[in-house]
Amino acid sequence: MKILILGSGPGGYVAALRAAQMGAEVTVVEEKEVGGTCLNEGCIPTKTLVASAEAYATAKDLASFGIDFSGEIKPNAKKIVDRKNSVIATQVKGIRGLFKSWGVTLKEGRGSFISEKEIRLIPKNGPEETLTADKFIIATGSRPASIPTFPFDGRRIISSTEALDMQEIPDSMLIIGAGVMGCEFGCIYREFGTEVTLIELMPRALTTEDPEISQVIERELKKKKIKLHLGVKVEKVTTDDTSVKAYLSGGKELSASKMLVTIGRAFNTNGVGLEHAGVEMDKRGAIIVNDSMETSNKDIYAIGDVTGGMLLAHVASKQGLCAVSNIMGHKEKMDYTVIPAGIFTHPEIASVGLREHQLAERGAKYKVGRFQYRALGKAHAMGEISGMFKVIADSDTNKILGVHIIGHNAADIIHEAAVAMKAGLTAEALAETVHAHPTLAEGLMEAAEDVMGRAVHVPKP
Amino acid sequence: MNPDELRYHKEHTWVSISGKKATIGITDYAQDALGDIVYIDIPEVDAEVEANTEMSEIESTKATSSVIAPLSGTILSVNEDLEDSPEIINEDPYGKGWIAVIEISDDSELDDLMDASDYDKFIEEEAG
Repeated sequence: MKILILGSGPGGYVAALRAAQMGAEVTVVEEKEVGGTCLNEGCIPTKTLVASAEAYATAKDLASFGIDFSGEIKPNAKKIVDRKNSVIATQVKGIRGLFKSWGVTLKEGRGSFISEKEIRLIPKNGPEETLTADKFIIATGSRPASIPTFPFDGRRIISSTEALDMQEIPDSMLIIGAGVMGCEFGCIYREFGTEVTLIELMPRALTTEDPEISQVIERELKKKKIKLHLGVKVEKVTTDDTSVKAYLSGGKELSASKMLVTIGRAFNTNGVGLEHAGVEMDKRGAIIVNDSMETSNKDIYAIGDVTGGMLLAHVASKQGLCAVSNIMGHKEKMDYTVIPAGIFTHPEIASVGLREHQLAERGAKYKVGRFQYRALGKAHAMGEISGMFKVIADSDTNKILGVHIIGHNAADIIHEAAVAMKAGLTAEALAETVHAHPTLAEGLMEAAEDVMGRAVHVPKP
Repeated sequence: MNPDELRYHKEHTWVSISGKKATIGITDYAQDALGDIVYIDIPEVDAEVEANTEMSEIESTKATSSVIAPLSGTILSVNEDLEDSPEIINEDPYGKGWIAVIEISDDSELDDLMDASDYDKFIEEEAG
C-alpha cells in the first residue's frame, strides 16, 4: 500500500507514522516545516511563551513565597523568542527522526493534485516531480483568518504568527476576538506588561465554553487589568507609523501600538488542486468528510483543521489514526463525544463533553456539581486559588455529561474526567474514587460529590 | 460593634447617608465571614445599581460572593484604593474600606434598612 500525505502537522505526521508502523509505504509532502501550525506557529510556541510569562509572574511574586530577592527582573523579548525557537527546533528534530526511523519519505515543497491519482510537487530545491500513490490523505491545515477591510500588514495589524515572534514587548495591544487565541495572548502579553484590550463581537469571552467558565475568566482578565469590550464590532481601523486605531460600534475609539487579530482560522484548500481530484468542499471552503474521514473521492481522505470540524491538534491526530486504520482495511469511525480541550490562559481552562448552555438548548435534564479551587489546601500552598470545578451529570442516571475546569493545571486534570466519560461512568464513580491528598484533582472528586449534594468541604447551605 | 450612625442591609452591606448621597461598604460581619479579601470587582462610575441586586463581586481566600446593593441609584465615585489593596476592607470595613458612593434614586428604600441594634440582633440570629 502506497500512501501520500499532504501536510505534516499533528494530523499528517501522526498518520504517516501509524501507516508506516502498519507496513505502508509512506510519503509526506510538507511545504513549510514538519509539525505544522501546532508545532511551529500554534500550540507549542504559545505554551513556551506561557511558561516564560508564568516564570516572570512567579519571579515578581517571590516575596509572597517568603523568598527575598533584590535586583531587577524583566522579560527579554528576544531571549523569550529564542527559547521558543529552540523548543520548536527540538520537537521538529524529533519528528524528522521518527520519520527516518520508520522509513517515511519526506518531500519538502508544495504539492497539489493534478489528477485523482497524481500530485505535482514543486520542491524547495530541485526539479518538479509527479508523485503517485494508492491512497491520499489531505492534512493541509488552516491559517489565521484576516478581516478583509483591515488585512494583516505584519507591523501594526498582526496575526498570532507575528505575536509569537515579537522582538520587543509592545506597550499596548488591541486584540480583536476574545476566543481561545485572543485570551491566551492577552494573558501572556499582559503578564509581560503590555496594556491589553480585548474586543469581542459576541456578548461573552470564550463564547463556545460553558457560560460559567466565561464568567470566571472575564473576572480573572479584569483582575489582571485587561480591558474587555464585549458585544461590539470593529467598524474601521486606521494605522500610522506608531499606532493603530480601532473605531468600535457605539462610537468608542481605541488606539494601541499593535493590533492582534484572532478571529478564527481559514482552511488551507486553495492551491491543493481539489478540483482535479474530485474532492468536494463546503461553503466555508473546508473539505467534506464522513465519519471514516473519507472525502467525496474514495481514495482520498482528509483530516484535521482542513475538514473544518473541531480545530484541535489532538482531534487531527485521532482523525489521522482513523483514516490510516480505514486505509489499511479496518473499519473505524470517529466519535467526538469525548474530546478534552485546554485553553492556556491564566488560570488555565479545560473542558470535556457538553456545556451547560448546550444541555439547556437540548432540554436535557441535568444536575451540576461545583467546587472552588480556593477550598483546596493544595491550591493555597501553591498560591493558585482562583478557579472552579464543574461536573454536569444526567439527572436520572448521574452519568457524567460534561466537566469544565478553570484553575491551575486544569488541562492536565481534565483527563480523569475524559476517561470517566469514555467509560460511561457516573458522578458517583468519580466521587467514590479515592483521590490523593493534597492534590488539585481532589477538587474534581468534591465537585462530583456536589452533584449528589454532599461535597464535604463546603459549608452547609 | 457596628457603628450607630450607619444603616444596614440584610445582605451585610452598610450605608452612610448624607443628603441624596449614600456611601456603601460591607459590614464587619461580612468581612469576617469572607476571610482575607484578595479581589473586589469595583463598579464603574455612572453605572446604575438596583437595590437587592449584585453591585460588585468580592473574592476572598475562602469564597467568591456578590456585594448586594442596599439601595438603588447611580454610582458617583468608587474607592480606587481597593483595586490594588482589597485587604483594606478587612482592616477597616467602616472607614477606608468603603466601596462606592451613590446618588440615591428612591428614598423609600431607606425604610428597608436596619439600624445598628437591629442589625446586631439580625447577625446574632444568622450566626444561629
